Order: sequence, then C-alpha cells, then structure tokens
Amino acid sequence: MLTFERTFEQCQELIADLSFERVHRWKEQHPGARVIGYFPVYAPVEIIHAAGMLPVGLNGGGDRLDIQYADARFGSFICSIIKTTLEMGLRDHLKVFDGILFSSICDSARNLCFVMKRNFPDLYIDFLHLPHNPSSTASVDFLASEYHRLIKELERIGGKPVTEAGLQQAIALYSCNRQLIRSLYTFRAQKPHLLRAWESYVLIRAGHFMPVEEHNSLLEESLKQLSQRSGKPRDSIRVVVEGAFCEQPPLDLIKLVEDAGCYVVDDDFVIGQSWFVEDVPVGGDPVFALADSYVNRAVYSSVRHDFRAPRWEGLAEKVKRSKANAVLFLIAKFCEPAYFDYVLFKKKLEELSVPHLLLEFEEKQFTFDRVRTEVETFVESLVFD
Amino acid sequence: MRIAAGVDVGSTQTKAVVMAENGGKTILARALVDTGANVRKAAENAFLAACHNAEIPATDVGFVVGTGYGRYNISFGNAQLTEISCHARGAHFVCPTTRTVIDMGGQDAKAISVGSDGQVLDFVMNDKCAAGTGRFLANAADVMGIGLDEIGPLSQRSTRPVRIATVCTVFVESDILSYLAQGKKGEDIMAGVHLAIAKRTLSLARRVSIEPDITMTGGVARNLGMVRALEQVLGTKMQVSPDAHFMGAIGAAVFALEKMDQSFESSTWRPEHAAGSGH
Amino acid sequence: MGDAKHTEYRGSIHQRQKELMLKWYERLNEAAETGTPPAISLMISGNCVELLEAFGAVPIYPEVNALQLAIRHQSLEPILAAEEIGYAPDNCAYVKADIGCYLKGITPTGSKLPKPDLVLCNFVGCNTYVKWFEHTAVLTNSKLYVLDVPFLREDNPSQADIDYVVRQLKELVSLLEQITGRQFDYDRFVEAVRCSAQVEDLWSQIKHLARRSPSPFDAYFDAITLMGPLYVYRGTPEGVEFFRAALEEMQAKVAIGQGVYDQEKFRLVIEGPPPYPYFRTFRDMFAKWKACTVASTYSTVGGLWEFGARHDPDHPFEAVALHMLAHNVTNRNYLQRYEQIRRYLEDWNADGLIIHFVKSCRLFSAGQGDMRDYVTKTLGIPTLYIESDLEDPRYFSEAQTRNRVDAFFEALEHSKLTAAV
Repeated sequence: MLTFERTFEQCQELIADLSFERVHRWKEQHPGARVIGYFPVYAPVEIIHAAGMLPVGLNGGGDRLDIQYADARFGSFICSIIKTTLEMGLRDHLKVFDGILFSSICDSARNLCFVMKRNFPDLYIDFLHLPHNPSSTASVDFLASEYHRLIKELERIGGKPVTEAGLQQAIALYSCNRQLIRSLYTFRAQKPHLLRAWESYVLIRAGHFMPVEEHNSLLEESLKQLSQRSGKPRDSIRVVVEGAFCEQPPLDLIKLVEDAGCYVVDDDFVIGQSWFVEDVPVGGDPVFALADSYVNRAVYSSVRHDFRAPRWEGLAEKVKRSKANAVLFLIAKFCEPAYFDYVLFKKKLEELSVPHLLLEFEEKQFTFDRVRTEVETFVESLVFD
Repeated sequence: MRIAAGVDVGSTQTKAVVMAENGGKTILARALVDTGANVRKAAENAFLAACHNAEIPATDVGFVVGTGYGRYNISFGNAQLTEISCHARGAHFVCPTTRTVIDMGGQDAKAISVGSDGQVLDFVMNDKCAAGTGRFLANAADVMGIGLDEIGPLSQRSTRPVRIATVCTVFVESDILSYLAQGKKGEDIMAGVHLAIAKRTLSLARRVSIEPDITMTGGVARNLGMVRALEQVLGTKMQVSPDAHFMGAIGAAVFALEKMDQSFESSTWRPEHAAGSGH
Repeated sequence: MGDAKHTEYRGSIHQRQKELMLKWYERLNEAAETGTPPAISLMISGNCVELLEAFGAVPIYPEVNALQLAIRHQSLEPILAAEEIGYAPDNCAYVKADIGCYLKGITPTGSKLPKPDLVLCNFVGCNTYVKWFEHTAVLTNSKLYVLDVPFLREDNPSQADIDYVVRQLKELVSLLEQITGRQFDYDRFVEAVRCSAQVEDLWSQIKHLARRSPSPFDAYFDAITLMGPLYVYRGTPEGVEFFRAALEEMQAKVAIGQGVYDQEKFRLVIEGPPPYPYFRTFRDMFAKWKACTVASTYSTVGGLWEFGARHDPDHPFEAVALHMLAHNVTNRNYLQRYEQIRRYLEDWNADGLIIHFVKSCRLFSAGQGDMRDYVTKTLGIPTLYIESDLEDPRYFSEAQTRNRVDAFFEALEHSKLTAAV
C-alpha cells in the first residue's frame, strides 16, 4: 500500500514539474521524434500519436511560476492560465516542444495562440477550429478536413506519415485510456471514501506527460490497487464540481473541498482527457470517426455549442447519475465561458432544487481560509437543514 | 535672476517647488501640504509655503506650472502639464543620466521611458485596480494594524517572505489575514506584499523599454522596503533622490522656467487668485 | 457643448443617419405589434444580412441596442438587473445590458422590440456571441441557429472553410423558409448582395479620403455614426443612397480643404471599441488636442473593405461566406490585426496609435499589451494604452484617462517639435 501512496506523490511531482523533465527524457529515448503541446480543453491526441509524436497537455503554470513578463502582454481582466502559458514560453520552459495546438475555446485563448506565434516564430503553432454547429450535416466533413490539414502540418514538421493503421491503433489506445478514466470516476462515485478527488485528478492528469501506453498501465495498476484499499466512510455530502475545465485549481483547493466535508463524486477537471461519452468507432475511416465523435459523442462542455442536448441538461443528468446532493461551481477568475454558463446552470439547478455554491479561484493561490469558510458554511447549511 | 514654481497637486499630498534661474537652475525651496478636500486651497497653501520657505514674496514668481490630478484647479497656474511629463523632466534635472522613471504615487504607478533631454519617449500606467500604488500599501498597513511609515523598515527584517499571488486589494487583505492567522511574522508578510507589488510593477514597466539609469520617484520611494524589493526584481540599483517625492513639482518648475522665456507675463500671483477671496 | 462645431463634423448625413435608424426602430416596432415583417436577431460582425433581405425580414442587432443604451446613459440599470440573476462582473457588459433589457422591458428608444422569429448567431470569432445568443434564445424561448464560421487561422480561408459556410447558409435558407412561411427570393438575394458591394465600395472610398490631410471626417468618432446605417441597410438601395450622399458630402469638404479641425495637429489610429457611456467626454479629450483619427479597427467590425474586398453578386453564397470568413476584423486573427494597424499607420500617415482596452471584449483586448509591444518596439510608433469599457459606466475613470491622453500628446507634441528642428 505504501508504494501505491507513492504513486500519487509521483504524479503530483510530474504535474508540478515546469521543466518537463519526463518529456525531455522521452525525447532523448526517441531521437528525432517531436513533442506537441496542446492548450485545453480538447485536442485530437490520436492524430498526434499516429504521427509518432508525444502529445503533452499544457494546463498553465499552476502556482509555481511568478509572472514577470506576461502581464505586460495580457493586461487586467485576463485569466491566469493565459499569462502563465505565455510566461512559460518567455522564460524558456517550452523548449522541449516542437509545436503547440490551440482550439476555439474562448477569445483569450485564441488571441494567445497568435501572440505565441509572433513571440516564438520557430515553434509550430496552430489553431484548430472545432465546430460549433453540430446540428449541421456539414460539421463532420468540415472537421475531418481540418484534421487532414493538421495531419499535413504534422508531417511537414517531421512527423512520420500518418497511416490508417497508425490511427486505428492510436484510437484503440486512447479509447482504452478513456475507459480506464471512466472506471476511475465510477469507482469514486461508488466509494468516494476510498479514492479522493485530488488523487484521481493527479492520476489522470499525469497522463499529460507520458505516452498513453504508460498511462494505461498506470491506471490499470491503480485500479487494481484501489480494489484492495479499505477505509471508513466519512460524514460528507456528495457534490459535483463544475467549471474548472481549463485553468486548473490548486491541489490544495481540491483537497480543501473534501476536507471541508464534501465527497467530490464527479468533476470536470482536465475534462479533455475523457472527452467522449462512448468509444470512437473502429473499422471505418479513422479521421472521419474522430471528427464524427467530436460532433456526436462528446461530453457537454462550456466551450462547445450543442443545443441538441443543452449543457444544463447535461449537468442535471450528471447530478442525478452521481447521486450528488449539491453542485460546487469552481470557476477560474476571468473565465468568461464558465461565468456565462453559470447563469443557465444555476437556473436549471434551482428548478430542480439542487443546492449550489459558486467559488472563484486562481491557479496561483496560496491561502484558502476564505474558501474553506464558504464551503464549510455551505456544507453545514445542508447537513443541518 | 528669474524665479518660477511648480505645484504638483497629488491625490493625497500637494507639493510645491520654487526654482531660480541664474546661469543654472537651483531649487530655492520646497513645501508639502495634505491635499484634503479643498484642492484649490491646498495648491495655494503649498505655493505660498514654498515662497515663504524661499523667503521671497509670491509676486516674484514669474511663472507657475501646475501638475498632478488637481492641476486644473490651480487658479494661479500659467500652464498645466501632466505629472508624467513633469516626473520625467524632474528626474532628468536631478539625475541627467535617467532613462527610465518608475513613479509610485498615491493612486498611480507609472513607468516612463525618458530621452536624453528629459522628454517622454513612452510611458505606461498601472491597470485599473490600485495594485502597485501607495494606496494599496496603506491598505495593507491598515490590515496589519501598523503605520504606513513602519511597513518598509519592518519588511527589511524579513528572512522568509510569504507568497502573495494576487495583487487585487481585496484578495491581498484576506491573504494577509490568513497568514496572520497562521502565525506568520509581520515582517515576512509585509516583505511578501512588497515583493508582489514589485513584480507587478516590473511587469508593467516591461511595456516600455527598461534602460539604465532607473530613477524612482513619487511618495512610495520613501519606503525603503519598496525600493529594495524593486531593486531585487530589477536586478539593479535605482537612483532614489531625497527629493523623490517632489519630482513632479521639480519637473513642473523646470518647465515653468523654460516656458517663462516664451511668456510676456511678468508676474503670476495676484492676491485675487486666493481661493478664499470670494470666488 | 457650445464649441461643438470646432470639434466635429456635422453634415446632412448625420441628420439622415438619425432618420434611417429611427425608421429601423419603427419597423421593429411594427414587427412587434403585427408579427410582420419577420424579425431575426443577428450579430453585427461578419453577418449575412443579405439572406434576410431575400425574405423581407428585418434584423435585430442587440449590439446596436446595447450601444444606443450606453450612449444615452441608460446602460447601468439593465447591467445591474443581469448581475442580479447571476452574471458576473467580468462578463461582457453588452450581453448584460441586452439581457437586462429583456428582464426589465427596456428598449433604447422606448418603442417595442419584437420577439425574434429566429435567433441567428453568426459565430465569427467572438465566442461571447455564441453564449449571448444561447441565452437570448432561452430567455425569449426562440429558435436558435449557430452558423459556425471557421476562424481565419491561415492567411486566407480554405476551400473547405468556404464549402462549410456555404452548406450552412443553404441549410439556413430552408430553415428561414420554414420559419417565415415565405419562399426564398433568389433574385432579391442577388440584388441585396449587389447593394452590399456598392455600399462597400462607397464606404471604402470614404475611408480612403481620410488619407488626405486634413481628413474630412474622424475615422473613429464619425465613422461610428455611419456604422448604424452600414449594418442595418447594407443590402438595400437606401444604404447605397445614404453612402453615396455621404461620399459626396465629404468629397466636397476635401475639395475646399476643410478638415475636422481648423488645424489638424495630430493624426491617429485607434484600436478597440469606444467607451460608449462617455462617448462625448472621450471625444473631447482628443478634440482638445485637435487630434483626428484617420483609421480605426473598430470601424471594420461590420466589414473590412478598404483593402479591396467586396461581395461578388455573381457568386452570392460564396460572397456571403467569404465576407463572414475573411472580411471582418473579428474573424481575422490577431496578427492580421497587427498588419491592418501597420498599414493604417503607414498608408494613412498617422503619428500614433491609441489602444483602448475594453474589459468587456476579450476578442479585442486580450493581448493588446503584446500589440503595443509590436507597435512601439518593432514599428517605433508612439502608442497610448488606456482602459475602460464599452458599455459599463463603472469602469471609466475620467481624470485618469484624461491624464494619460494629455501626457501622450504632450510627449507627441514635443517629439514633433524636435523632429521639425
């Protein structure tokens, strides 16, 4: 059991490592191979993998990077992840990367893509337009053509030729990865006293920095270990955490929420890693299958328009499925998509009489007393109701 | 000998400088008063006090340039210029090798890129919130329950500054309270606050080109803790004149002497200008 | 306001602009009361208003409503109403003002606004557009169609981008036929596209007149006046007639060497939307220095035509698609905006750039520090960076803004003087 506890620590160190040591090592072991970073929320990692490259999730600098330069480029009222990402580049943390992908998630992130392009002309920086009109039959065709464009670019910057077999293999690997992540979530929803939210979070996010094959082994092993874990249930309410899909809250904040009397039975931390609600179909044209899955098999998200199944219905469904008592909105300061969605989420939850609490955070936050008071009060109000 | 004056009406304090031109320019006297609610009166008081300190009648002053937020309220001013122009010119007068001015006053923090003759090449000012300004430090001091003059020396004693992430006034207050509750030392907390502001200010200053020599001006320059924190993040020494606080008024006085050449009016001050004279 | 004649240009087109806008509000009122003409909400930037013309439908532009409110100092009440139901202080205040109006039953002119028959979100870069119209659709219980326009991530749109938009436009035609019960009038569509092309040509000629010194109009403040008719009447003969008159009026001014000021002292490029709640105050800050705007990025939200792009009536669907994809500032990428500014500074012979950061609009504002870095350090052009908001009066600090504007011109004046020596 001791070694298993050590796994969480190692994952935590991996996430905290802004020098990307692990990624450097991968590159040394794969001479000539390229590393592609991707800004949240979602990226077609299968395609990067099929080009023989390592996709690396970039989720900001967390609380380990003081901003010295980026404030001068992005002023007030802009969220922290935009600034820490640029700061990482300006401070040479991104040297190991050959390229970085952005997508159409919000206005700040999109502008960041082009500011990065100007400041790092040697890097391959690209912007993927992920469609926002899923009800149009043209969407899937368009996205498939966008993916073909990406494939060409990756091949151009030194990726190996992307083959159908390579893509099918990557799809299988990542489908397995998402199944394992789903299992982890299912386990947590069933036995939240045996797996804490921060533990599953670091296990999942560690996958940002290693080949999917290794991450699959890590998750399989962890699930095995978990089944042997024992512990007593705590006196906690069950909550869904919503809103932290891009910038990630400090680990201490996730811990605090649970320490203050909550079981986090579902959340949207690094949601891009478990993006599809069912497996990408195998057998047909894999590029089309990936595009079709984005349009027709994706989780609900604040950065994707889909009125066939509005997001607030998705949240209501999530609350029901996970038997949650309440929703905690954990919104990054200045995250406009999350702020907007909060209004309609709130409306829906109030219709359903689901209690909710709004908390703002910044990835760089070192004291949490205020938040603790808020969460504790919220829990007390529910328990003593 | 020609005599002119500069009056800098700031948000908290009003500064006046009387300057003479006799071959070279020399500062004859300075005066400092609290601005308070009556801006016109404060300007007048500062100006008269400076004349008094210089032991000259106010009517000897040939030209007055007003600067600072209240510059248009100076009833006896002959011309108005922003404090940005004046701080640049003042810093150039006091230290001619100045190429960058970092000015931290009550409401604003600014970085000014200065040319070889003291002209403004480029400038930036702090964002909307009060971060990086004197008011912000005053708030922090209030939360700590200590005097504004004490926070600088206090922070100097720190060995392990705490980490303050945000520079939002409200959040910093709650950060300070949290650290106090955790039993952190006052000097470490204040050192953390100073460092946070210094980093934020430097980040702002990077929008202009930071070239040496760097001169710090404004009221906050009297806070040695802030000066050291800025020097630490800059990685270089700054010029801090004992007149840092008067730099805007000095620059205004320099401009006043220059403008006097182009002006025909011989005297500026007339008793009917007095704020109390029934206007 | 006694010296208004010195600080701005007042011509017959200003009067005509008022009439046209009033007429638009009357049509909206009529739609609200009688159900005809069909009314369709859409966004200003990169819109497909020509398609609406083909159905005889009238556009509702929430952005125009929001700015009208702000300019009339009426935006705070609806903003607060929206914040009461959960909108954050850091949400776009245009959205909050618009939503607040629905909640409170406020309209900018007091006339009625119809419930939209379709909420048509032309998603061109601005992610807030999508959220905004999702909320409008929910709030008014209207049908929503998001027309997804691929962002201009390379120099030009690809064939796949164009095909994607054209296919959606054709889906939209079927949808509009269902909703309005009217048949798509292809000839009227082509005619609307032809009118747009003419309006664009006239507007472009007007913009090029600002290359003269003195400029006959202010390409920010006066351009904003002309933008109302540009949005509402682009695809109509009234639009053509209005812009023809405007061009003639300005050409006449050029002929006699009449500028915005008796003496044009500075020529500026302005980036970003204006502070509508303090529009007049803001304008006067520049008028004081006789600083005339000769080009602005904000005036290309509706369309960027001064570099040659026009709707092509021979390929109307493709023309509309191209307009949405490439010929409006919001769907163009940030570096293309840098390039646009560079061309303005050089070809319109400007002395400096004003960047007005508005907290509401991250599309415009996120990264303007980097833009400033490019303009001052790479191009060597003096740049002033100021902050407030386009709709929320709480973020405008008059003393602070005036101070920065004055300091900027003091420095600019000095450098012009020394350059002249």
